[in-house]
Amino acid sequence: MNKALTSLNTFFLVLLFLSLIFSIFSIPKLNIDKTQSIRVNFYELIQEEDILFDSSFPKTTVKKETKKTSATDEKIKAAEAAIVSKFKINKLDIKNEISKIKLSKEREDILRVSAIIQARISSIWIKPNSLSESLIAKVSINLAPSGELLNFDLIEPSINSSFNNSILTAMNKMTFFEEVLSLDRKLFEQNFRNFNLVFKSSGEIE
Amino acid sequence: MIRFLFVALILVSNSIFSILEIEILKGSDNLSKIAFVPFGVDDGIEESYGRQISRNIEKNMLLFGEFENLPKSEMLSYPSSGNDFYYRDWKVLGVDYSVIGKVNSVNSLGNLNISYSLFNINRRIKLLEGEIVGSEDNIEGISKIISNRIYEEITGLKGIFDTKLAYVINSDADTYQMCISDIDGKNEQILFSSKAPIMSPDWSPDRKKMAYVSFENGLAEIFIQDLQSGERNSIQALGMTNSAPVWSPDGKSLALVVSFSGNPDIFLYSINSKRLIRLTNHYGIDTEPSWSPDSKKIIFTSDRSGSPQLYEINTQSKRKKRLTRDGNYNARGRYFPDGKSIFFVHGNNGNFQIATKKLSSRYIETLTSTSLDESPTISPNGNIIIYATKDGSNGYLGGITLDGKSRFSLPVKNGSVREPAWSPLLN
Repeated sequence: MNKALTSLNTFFLVLLFLSLIFSIFSIPKLNIDKTQSIRVNFYELIQEEDILFDSSFPKTTVKKETKKTSATDEKIKAAEAAIVSKFKINKLDIKNEISKIKLSKEREDILRVSAIIQARISSIWIKPNSLSESLIAKVSINLAPSGELLNFDLIEPSINSSFNNSILTAMNKMTFFEEVLSLDRKLFEQNFRNFNLVFKSSGEIE
Repeated sequence: MIRFLFVALILVSNSIFSILEIEILKGSDNLSKIAFVPFGVDDGIEESYGRQISRNIEKNMLLFGEFENLPKSEMLSYPSSGNDFYYRDWKVLGVDYSVIGKVNSVNSLGNLNISYSLFNINRRIKLLEGEIVGSEDNIEGISKIISNRIYEEITGLKGIFDTKLAYVINSDADTYQMCISDIDGKNEQILFSSKAPIMSPDWSPDRKKMAYVSFENGLAEIFIQDLQSGERNSIQALGMTNSAPVWSPDGKSLALVVSFSGNPDIFLYSINSKRLIRLTNHYGIDTEPSWSPDSKKIIFTSDRSGSPQLYEINTQSKRKKRLTRDGNYNARGRYFPDGKSIFFVHGNNGNFQIATKKLSSRYIETLTSTSLDESPTISPNGNIIIYATKDGSNGYLGGITLDGKSRFSLPVKNGSVREPAWSPLLN
């Protein structure tokens, strides 16, 4: 009888393990690349994450027999411990994956806004011609959350004054960076409150 | 947990220690817009002086298509001094720079005292303020000096409005004229006329002499002509034919091509000692030499590899280096004034175009889009290339700024124009 019970328990445990694995993999695919991340409904994903890790959520998957021998209990406990430990690892994986998605989304926003800023500056910067000279100058930018340009400073000028002047002239044409308005405030503070523009005379710097 | 902490640490460290950097490589295709405000005049001075000076400055600055001007009809005011200059009047018109000025006085000798200023509207600063005195008979010259200063202030490059151009006009089948003119085509002078071809003019560094090749005696001979006196002398007793003379940067010698027995090689010729030093000795054709700005190297064309390619030779060690490998025709190489790049004629599928190459790079860049370009010459500030090209059978001079934003052709002459040579700057 005991043997039969043990076999049954083992069967249930295996079933339980398989159902756990299945439930984990039925979450929208988390290990995604940049393009997939665009398609994921981020809000739903977070909700699912909450359900998964909510302690009040009934853990129906693990059922205990009330009457067992101590040896069987130990075996069950060991098996449970193994499953729980496995489950914990999976939870970590999932959280990591979600963090990755968040990061990927943030990265996308940063790249998108950076690209718009890059295009706007390029459209107003009248670059002096310097075929043979490779020059670099760095400007630090200080923005208000409204996108208003509060301050800029040529922190690392090049050795060529006309190159520097052309940059200052371009920067003086800028008053607002409206594109940052589309950003989450935290992301703005982390990345666009203060950032640098690096002007290069050519793509090939010696 | 450890992995979580690691990710968090990266995020925190990212946000604390690094700052977003956005690279700007490409500039705008737009040109800087300049308002050339008619110069004012003080009481009792002819208004035409002021208008003439500002008009000349405007013409000079627009000559190579590097800037855009604001039409006078759109100007809200005509300030002539800083006191009546308001940035907002120009900002609203999308102007980048404003040039204002005034003729303050004319003395009994006819000398004008002129003051001028250049403003950067976006930065709201006065970039330049100057005063100049010059004869009323030389308003063009005064305007060129002011234009040079403005150009230099805006671009950081030397102004070239008082430079000159030498070229050969072939007005009919039997007439060749060696000419020089101002860079805008004005004040043309004929240095020498011949029934036989003239070619390869080259300015001495002091702008006082011209070296060129003439076939007037049946063979290619090199002549040096004094531009003031008009006196011309041939370089005596070289080989069977002598061609392609180029002055060294110090003006003490010429690099040239001498053919003793039908095989052209590159030589150095000392003007004072009249000594000839051989640089190359190859059964292939070596021709079209040109000096590097530091005088240490000479670029030349050679077909020693089977097709015309550019080579460089160290004038001391005589060590040679091949510079071009793209395509089967690269010739007439010249160094940029900074010595870091070269420009030349690049042949590709029957098209001959002007190309540039950084000496540190493997790649060449084609500048022109016409198909029969030859004899490129560069402005002394290294910003503009003028070259000879053809429209049907008629040769004319085309030009291009190195950023490719502006292409232009110089005023048409009476006949085919070839072999342009841009003068050095006046010291």
